[in-house]
Formats: sequence, C-alpha cells, structure tokens
Amino acid sequence: MGKRFYLALAMVLVVALLVSACGGSQTQQSSQPAQQNSSSQKSESKGPLKLGMVGPLTGNTATYGTSVKNGVEIAVDEFNANGGYNGQTVELVAEDSRGDQTEASNATRKLIEQDKVFAIVGAVLSSETLTAAPTANDAGIPMISPSATAPGVPEVGPYIFRNCIADNVQAAQMAEYAAKELGLKKFAVMYTNNDYGLALKNAFTNTAQNLGEVVGVEAYMDGDNDFRAQLSKLKQQNPDALYIGGYYTEAAKIAQQAKQQGLDKVVILGGDGFYSPQLVELGGDAVEGAVFTAGFFSGDTADPVQRFVSAYKAKFNAEPDMFAAQAYDAANIVLTALKAAGPDSKAIMEKMAATKDFPGITGTTSFDEQGDAVKQVLILKVENGKFNKLR
Amino acid sequence: MSGYYSQIIIITGINILLAMGLNLITGYTGQLSLGHATFMGIGAYTSSLLTKAGLPFYISLLAGVLIASLFGLAIGMPTLRLRGDYLAIATLGFGEIVRTFLNNLSITGGPNGIRAIPLKTDLTTVIILTAVCFYLLYRLQSSRLGKVMRAIGQDEIASEATGVNSSYYKIMAFVIGAGLAGMAGGLYAHYFRYINPANFTFNKSIEILCMVVLGGLGNPFGPVVGGVIISILPEALRNISPVVSQYRMVLYGVILIVMMIIRPQGILGGNGLFINANRKGNFKIFRSVKGAVKNADS
Repeated sequence: MGKRFYLALAMVLVVALLVSACGGSQTQQSSQPAQQNSSSQKSESKGPLKLGMVGPLTGNTATYGTSVKNGVEIAVDEFNANGGYNGQTVELVAEDSRGDQTEASNATRKLIEQDKVFAIVGAVLSSETLTAAPTANDAGIPMISPSATAPGVPEVGPYIFRNCIADNVQAAQMAEYAAKELGLKKFAVMYTNNDYGLALKNAFTNTAQNLGEVVGVEAYMDGDNDFRAQLSKLKQQNPDALYIGGYYTEAAKIAQQAKQQGLDKVVILGGDGFYSPQLVELGGDAVEGAVFTAGFFSGDTADPVQRFVSAYKAKFNAEPDMFAAQAYDAANIVLTALKAAGPDSKAIMEKMAATKDFPGITGTTSFDEQGDAVKQVLILKVENGKFNKLR
Repeated sequence: MSGYYSQIIIITGINILLAMGLNLITGYTGQLSLGHATFMGIGAYTSSLLTKAGLPFYISLLAGVLIASLFGLAIGMPTLRLRGDYLAIATLGFGEIVRTFLNNLSITGGPNGIRAIPLKTDLTTVIILTAVCFYLLYRLQSSRLGKVMRAIGQDEIASEATGVNSSYYKIMAFVIGAGLAGMAGGLYAHYFRYINPANFTFNKSIEILCMVVLGGLGNPFGPVVGGVIISILPEALRNISPVVSQYRMVLYGVILIVMMIIRPQGILGGNGLFINANRKGNFKIFRSVKGAVKNADS
C-alpha cells in the first residue's frame, strides 16, 4: 500500500490534531447544554448561553460577514460585562457560510442542533438568509438578519426578523425629507442600472411625484465616467434637486460634471451608497451641501454611538461600518429580549416581536407585524468636507 | 437522526445525482460539459414553478427531469458535433444564456428567485432516487450501450469506423445526464425552499466536474466517492474545532490539491472499483506519489 500516502495522511491528521488542541479550551466550554435553566445563581455549574451568528467569514463577501460578526461580538462583550443573564454569560458561536446558500443552511442547522443556540444573528446576504431562514423558523429559533434587504425575508415566518433599512424605505424617506424639510419641488433622478439603483429610483420617484414633480429620470452603468449626455438632458428641465441612486464613485463624478454644466444650484441628494469618506475626496467642492440617507453615522456625537465606535476600534483596530452597527443593534435586540424573557426561544421571539422604539445606534427601532424593522433613517449632509447629521 | 446530518446526506445525494449525470457525459463519452449546473437550474425552476401552481411533487419533479432532458437534447443536437474545447465553450455560453433569462424573466422572479417552495424532499426520497439511479447507471456500464459510450470516449474515429453512430450515443448520454441534473435540481429546490439564479452558475458546474474528476472519470463508483467527499468535507472540517473551522476552506483546497497530486486519475481511477483490482499484483486504491506523477506526465 502507498506508504507515502499514509505519511501524507498522517501529517494532515497531526496538523489537524494540533490545531484542534489549540482551540480545545473553547470546545470544552460548549459541551454543556445551555438551555437547562433553573433559578439558581451558581453560574459555575452552568455553561454559557449561546448566541449563533451565520455569515460569510471567507470568500469574496467576507468583509460584510466579518463586520457583522465583530458588531455582534461587541454587543455580547457588553452584555457579559453588565452581568449577563442572571450571572450567566453569553457565548458567541460564529459559523462561516462562504456566502453560499447551501452552506448557510448547513451552518444554521449546525448552530441549532449541535450548539443549541437560543437565537441567531444572520444571515448576511439576502440569498443565504432566504435559504437559511426556513430552517430556523421550523426549528423555532429566532433569527434576525442585520443586512438582508431583499423582499420576502421577514415573511418567511414569525421567528424571522430583520434589522436594516430596505432600499425603498430610505429613498422614500429621502423624497419626503427633501420636499417637506428642504422645500425642494422639481426633482431629477439618475440611477445606476442594477437592483440597488432600480429600487432607489422607483421608491424615490413614487414618493416625489406625490409631493412635487419628477422632471427627468436617467440611467447610467456602474463604472461610467462621462455623464454629460444625461446631465444636459436633465438641465433643460431646470430641476431644484438631483437624486443619485448609486454609489459614491459615480456620484462624485456626476456632481462634478453637473457643476461644470452649470447645474450648480441643484441640491445633490442620495442614498447610503454615498456614505464613504471617498465621496468628499473624489467630489471635492461639487459634493458640498449634498444630502443623503444613511443607516449609520460613526461621527454621531450621541453617547451610545461613540461608546460603540471606541469599543470597536479598541478591539478590532478598524472603523465600524453600517453592517457592524446594524449587527450590534440586532444582537442587542436579541440580548434585551433574553434578559426579559429568559433563555427560552419562543419567549425571546415573542419579546422581540413586541420590540417598540428600541434605542439603538442606527436609530430607534420597532418591528412591524411581519418582523421587519421600522425606523427613521439618518439623514446626513456634507458641510465643509465633513458629514453632519441633519436628522 | 438529527436534521443536520440528514441535511448533509440529502445534499450528498443531490450532488451524487449531479455527478453521475456528468460522469456519463464527460467520463463515458468524453464530452467536456461546463454547463451541468444549468440543467440543474432548469429542473429546479420547472418543478418548483409547477408545485407552486398546485401540481403534486412527483409529477412536477418528473416534469423538471423531462424539461431538462429536452434542453439537453436541444443544446446537444447542434453542439455535440463540436469536440473538446469547442463543446466546453458552447455549454459555457448556454449556461450564461439561461442564467440571463432566469435573471430577467418575471415568471422566475428575476434575481430575487422563487421563495416559499413547499418542503417535499425528504431523506428517504433522496436515498431511494439516488440508489435507483446509481443501480441503473451501474448496470449501464457493462451493457452494450455503456460499452459503446466508453468506446466513443476512448476513440471516436475508431468507433465510427466500426459502425457506431457516435452522434446518436453522445446525444443520448447528454440527454440522460441533463435529466439526472434536472432531478437533482427539483430535489434541491423542494428541500431548501428557495432558489435564485446564483445557485446554478458556472461555479456550481465546476464543483460538479470536481466531484467527477476527483472520484475517477468514467468509473461508476467515481461520482459517489467524489460527491461524498466534496459534500461532506467542508462540514466535517467545520466540526473538528473552531480553529480548523476558520481555515476550513484553505484546508479544503489543500486536500483537493493533494488528492489530485497523489491520484491524478481520480481516487478510483478510470476503470471501476473491481476491474483493475488485480493489476500490479494487489488492490491498490492509492498509489505512491512518485508513480502517480509519472502517470500524469505521460
């Protein structure tokens, strides 16, 4: 028999053994059943309660998953530091989905059946959430996605929640704010021709038509550099404001070219695709005064936001993004429900569904009857090259 | 059995069905198809649209198989006159066309896919269907049909010269393979209850090809071995320890590379589990690194 093969096999096994030995301390903790709850306070006799997380931690969408995991970790750390649930700590079990739908479903089942988690924060991508959610719902484990914006996620069942701003909601709120608070009447719209841009455009024009007038709608492609043809068409309509449903790279260029074409009085409006320091770096003076919606603003001076930002920077040495912030809020909603209802998944689900005006760092959150977050979107303005919160 | 394990077995069964179909096309008749996941997608969409319209599961599953076979026939007729690289490119293009249609048609839900498909697939169904299909394909191997297909794969001109209508058998293999993929797609859709075009991309086709090559091209047991390894390995690595789990995709890649270095002809090799059992004196599933590399070079 091939000796070398067995040599190679043995080497692989030895490496695996060594690696698993290094992580052994973590696995030992998890051998106790978490959900057997009695009122006794002897925390050393009980294992920690487990909160699951599913998302892409590897693969080309790993940045989103990692942000979500980090956000949840901060929430769990704070919860434990504040005494946990009657002295019982919560342990985060994060599982990788690679962004793959089948694997997200596998990971969810693993968390529910092997780790016996009381709730799951995830999944991250819309497609994987739609595949994993029926599993969690059937098992009766609450699942809250911090980022799956596709239609139909909370509709999967009573155990499925979502804490993020849908594209159509933010665009509609932008139109409302622009018409009522900024007093703008004639809107021009440009959008990037993909599902994100399309959703923003549709919702914005629908709302803006009722409150004012939409004078022109033009599409562009991601990566385009020249928008003069579309802009000169829009210029003839004399708009007050230009809503750009797209990302900051193109938005900065559009703003500059609009200025060059003499559209310098229009107010640039946008969605959360604007939220990046690159917007100002690329756009310079042209984006000054631009107003856009965002799910999270790390420069917010409110105390909870600054506490989260500094904890995040201290632990991960990075600036938190929207995914991390929404995951932090989602985890806090779950942990608050745990504290009120105890480690019983059904009771946690009922408490979560009853969440009303939860004060998070991404705005106050309530759930509608489906389990979809209803919240007021943040509105930011570029002033002196910096973002400022308007609302 | 816990749902987690039965889910992994169901995924394995679905992958084995896919790999068996591709093995017939690529392993037996030697046609490199890079669009196998497309047929899976056609089966999945057809059957789930029909079940959602109220048809019984088995009828819509059958319809999925038939429609996928029909597409196999339609794409096989013109393209199977092409050989090697050209066929690969044609099937690749076919996959992209179907994906674009799925992404843009309103009946398929566009990029949002189809939600709330009823849960119909269970462990027993998958095991029975996989076992039956395996038995049929295993019997095919030693039948006249299987031998003709194998002959075409080894030398098409020689088999034409002996009076075999090679196009006919190539198309037949393609249609059967597409039908199996359609069945796998139907089972997949009714288990996970949500499908979208991203399930059935080029990546999935490559994953299926990986299973077939890893198991051993043209070996009836090959797809089973390859399917089991590719399906179970990522989950097995997930469960060893949290640290291994972190690097599991790296290990997964390393294991695949190591296996292909040790056994470039696939774990079982080309000729069946038992046929070459006595070659070189004993039953060698694994050869030494040196010998295998030599084989690969020649």
